[in-house]
Amino acid sequence: MTPPAPGRDRGLVRPYVVTDGRSHPTRNTFDLVTLVMAHDDRPLGGLSPEKRALMELCLGGALSVAEIAGHLMLPVSVTKVLLGDLVDSGHLSTRAPIPSAQLPEAQILQEVLDGLRARL
Amino acid sequence: MIGVFRFRTGRQDADLSLAQLSLGGSAPHVPVVQEELMSHHIPEVVIWCLAIALTAVSVLLARQRTITTGVRRRVDQLEDSLKARDEELAHLVGVRLPAVSDAVSQDVPLPGPLDDRLAGTAFAQNLQSVMDLFTQAVDKAQSRADQSAKAALKASMRALQGLAHEQQLAISEMQDRHDNPDVLRDLLEIDHANSQFGRRAQAIAVLCGSWPGRQRVASQLTDVVRGATSRIRDYRRVRVHSHADIAVVSRAVEPVVLAVAELLDNAARHSQPNTTVEVSIQPVHNGACVVIDDAGVGMDEQEIQQATAMLTGRRVVDVSRLGDPPQFGHPVIGVLAARYGFSVSVDTRSPFGGVRAVLFLPSALLTQLDIDGPGTTPLAARGGRGRDASDRPRRPSRPRAAGRHAERTHAPQAPQAPQAPHVPEPPARPAGAPAPAAAGDTGPRFPGTGEAPGTPGAPGFPDAPVVPDFPRVPEVPDFPRVPEVLGFPDTPAASSPPEAPGGTDAPGGPHVIGSTAGGLPKRRRRQPGGGQRSRPPAPAPTEMPKERTAEETARRMGAFARGTRTGRTGSHQLPPLPPPGDGPQGPPPPVPPSGHGPGHGPGPRQGPPPPPGSVPPPGRRPGHAPVEDEGNPYA
Repeated sequence: MTPPAPGRDRGLVRPYVVTDGRSHPTRNTFDLVTLVMAHDDRPLGGLSPEKRALMELCLGGALSVAEIAGHLMLPVSVTKVLLGDLVDSGHLSTRAPIPSAQLPEAQILQEVLDGLRARL
Repeated sequence: MIGVFRFRTGRQDADLSLAQLSLGGSAPHVPVVQEELMSHHIPEVVIWCLAIALTAVSVLLARQRTITTGVRRRVDQLEDSLKARDEELAHLVGVRLPAVSDAVSQDVPLPGPLDDRLAGTAFAQNLQSVMDLFTQAVDKAQSRADQSAKAALKASMRALQGLAHEQQLAISEMQDRHDNPDVLRDLLEIDHANSQFGRRAQAIAVLCGSWPGRQRVASQLTDVVRGATSRIRDYRRVRVHSHADIAVVSRAVEPVVLAVAELLDNAARHSQPNTTVEVSIQPVHNGACVVIDDAGVGMDEQEIQQATAMLTGRRVVDVSRLGDPPQFGHPVIGVLAARYGFSVSVDTRSPFGGVRAVLFLPSALLTQLDIDGPGTTPLAARGGRGRDASDRPRRPSRPRAAGRHAERTHAPQAPQAPQAPHVPEPPARPAGAPAPAAAGDTGPRFPGTGEAPGTPGAPGFPDAPVVPDFPRVPEVPDFPRVPEVLGFPDTPAASSPPEAPGGTDAPGGPHVIGSTAGGLPKRRRRQPGGGQRSRPPAPAPTEMPKERTAEETARRMGAFARGTRTGRTGSHQLPPLPPPGDGPQGPPPPVPPSGHGPGHGPGPRQGPPPPPGSVPPPGRRPGHAPVEDEGNPYA
């Protein structure tokens, strides 16, 4: 077991208080590697402490859902509920994960090759 | 002469003869005179006798009456006294002794003796001694019963607390493990029920004289209040308004959570389900206040007095005398407030019509949370400072906004790497000094030992055995030696990984903002600022072909094809090189699949060499392989 972080005891505030009893995110677009970016033009007032922490975390740059959950020390599913709220309120936007390498389609290459061979 | 006669009747005959002698002169007249004299005197004598007798009788009667009256009065008095004693005895048996035994459960004044006339008598003293003996016996029996009940309740409640805590850990693990919202919903419900269950057990244990359970780290007052919120049934009705940056010292976290939870539970229980319970946290001069307003039914004067008596600890309520149904809330708060030095008042009326409960925390129970505690590396790396910045002494006035990030820089509980915090621990631990390592890593150590030396009376100390497998050892931030251990200052294995991602990630500066307790680097993806916000690499493939003209590509592909052909035809003479962009030639000869390797070899010796700047980058090379392989069937 990991020792608890100072200033944040995981057992103190339970997840149902964090999500206000909800378990389903408002949108089902989050993956573990979905990148989340914060919009810094939105006011942070009125957000719950977890949402505020999430925003402060994401204002530094894009973070994946899994990383956010790790930083907030919350379960991933609970984090998704918070992320759904923040995306709905316009505080966050998501981006699909970047593919590791983008290769041209094999068919195009084949056509190019065929065409070249036809010319050469 | 007559007087003598009247009073001396016994000598009547002698006197009569004397009278005859003195009165009678002649002898012949004597009988007549005597006869007359006799007939004349007899009635008088009788009258006299009767009068005398009457007088005597009346005197006797009067005297008798006096005596009788006295005796009657005395008898009446004795009867009254006996009756009084009987009544006093009946009062003792019927009222006073039951009152003594009732007074154990309710605090009522004991009735005194019924009749004041008995005061000071031996009877009253004996009665009083009977009362005293009875009271002592009742007290003794009651205290013995209380003690045994308390011991039994305390032991069972501590066992239940331990079970609830274990269950909470299990639920937390399940919440981390499962990513399904339906599963999460069920887990949240179980978690909620478990928290309430734990609070009940905790409250009873506290009333039985136990300590309020586990020791926690110093926490933000907002988190303390929200932790209390998570332990009541109607947690969704509670609104917490706070902008205060105040933390509660570690030893007071759990008691304050419990007290606030009882207040919130009372507030939510005694108000309509569609109303909210407003909680605000206000810093005051000597500490901080948690103000809880409900819109409920309120309390009348007598209830307020009773509650105040219990909350201030003036009236100590035993666990066996809580009434029916038992009212735990205020007695528990009173016990905790007296033990930890905060105070609670409920005698104000809420602006919403209900009760306003104010919990006042003195400054001794408050602290400023130092985010850069042990176990995390602070934000120093972001500001260009080294990791060893964690060794500096704590700074209570650290700005909160910067601290929040470090607060989160702890071991991620993400399900894709559940074992991550465990892996580096075995190599990292021996690197630190042995003695602090033992202090930081022994599982069931006493939580109170982590407190600063000056902290009075570590309250969590006796509770360590409650949960022997206490898995989460709280790290108290102001423990002086721990930062050296958990910061791993002399562990190269722990301090080297930050450089690796920092070097490859971006040139703009260090991105490692901390490390987990196990030594894993905590990385921040990108820094704010436009230059380092990396764009997706998707445009890269489209940019590369732009540098190359179509002719060049054709030339290169032609060279490739020719090289392939040359390699496959072995020692055949090369045909004359056609200029690039020549007309279509015949179909290329069949190419065996094994020609992949030589295909690259002859390339450079083909006709016009490509310009030096247009050498295809190595990253492009994999793109050729499928083309070559797929091209074979067409060959």
